Amino acid sequence: MSATKRVQQWATLSRMWYLFDAQWQDPFRSAQTLALYLTGQNKPIYHPLNDCGDHVVVINSKEVALRGDEWKKRVYFHHTGYPKGASWTLAWQLHEKDPTMVMRKAIFKAMASNLIRRTNMERLHIFPGSEIPEEIKGNISGQIRPVMPVPKRLTGYSKEEIDNFPKVFDYPNDYILR
Amino acid sequence: MLITRVVCNRATKPDNFWKRRRVFKLTAHYYGRKRNCYSIAIKYLHRALAYVRKSRQLKKRDAIELWQQRISAGCRELGSSYEVLVRGMARCQIALDKKTLANLAIWEPRTFSSH
Repeated sequence: MSATKRVQQWATLSRMWYLFDAQWQDPFRSAQTLALYLTGQNKPIYHPLNDCGDHVVVINSKEVALRGDEWKKRVYFHHTGYPKGASWTLAWQLHEKDPTMVMRKAIFKAMASNLIRRTNMERLHIFPGSEIPEEIKGNISGQIRPVMPVPKRLTGYSKEEIDNFPKVFDYPNDYILR
Repeated sequence: MLITRVVCNRATKPDNFWKRRRVFKLTAHYYGRKRNCYSIAIKYLHRALAYVRKSRQLKKRDAIELWQQRISAGCRELGSSYEVLVRGMARCQIALDKKTLANLAIWEPRTFSSH
């Protein structure tokens, strides 16, 4: 086997580190994609007994977007095991306590329930902001596409772009803009 | 001694040693009395044979599922999906089975991408 072919094999079996920007992404929809990368189902060499999952680094988990009024309606259940140990936490409360938890739980739920689920979860690195430690940043070798388009805010446009935007009609002079 | 036909029929059955031996051979790797006691061993053997029968189909189903996962992983690398591939192949009348496609996705990624 030639040297180039040998290196090609290493590349097939190596672990990749993927970056995912969770800015304004639905955590439950993106979890479906990220779970594939963590379990190794994004590779044709996948086998349930084959430990071929990749690392995923999620940034901006503080900025995840839930649908509709899910921040108020989604409830996370926890039980300590003792009597009266049950507790129900709303999504916004959990997000205030730990901004990575909504994303982590979504991904945990998206993966199949089996013995290697927790091992695969170890390869997930979530950061609330956009800062990543240097030792992780050095490993990153790929990027996962965002699952939904990130809209641009009006403040993101320059003055020139706003002025040049095609206008359908002019407001009458006596029209009161509120 | 002369015995009548009626008495002969009522005589004890022949030794069922060989019949039991056949069962014990199959339960030789079990643990505890499942291995040694016939009445317990036969129960567990029947259960085991039922599992074997069931898993003959499961084995095939698992293999198909694995091929599908592998093919869809190969498609996702190319920005396509499994459904698109299957439909496109049916339209082009390419009769390749899942096993072949999965092998192509692993060993011949360039051939696979041409599909």
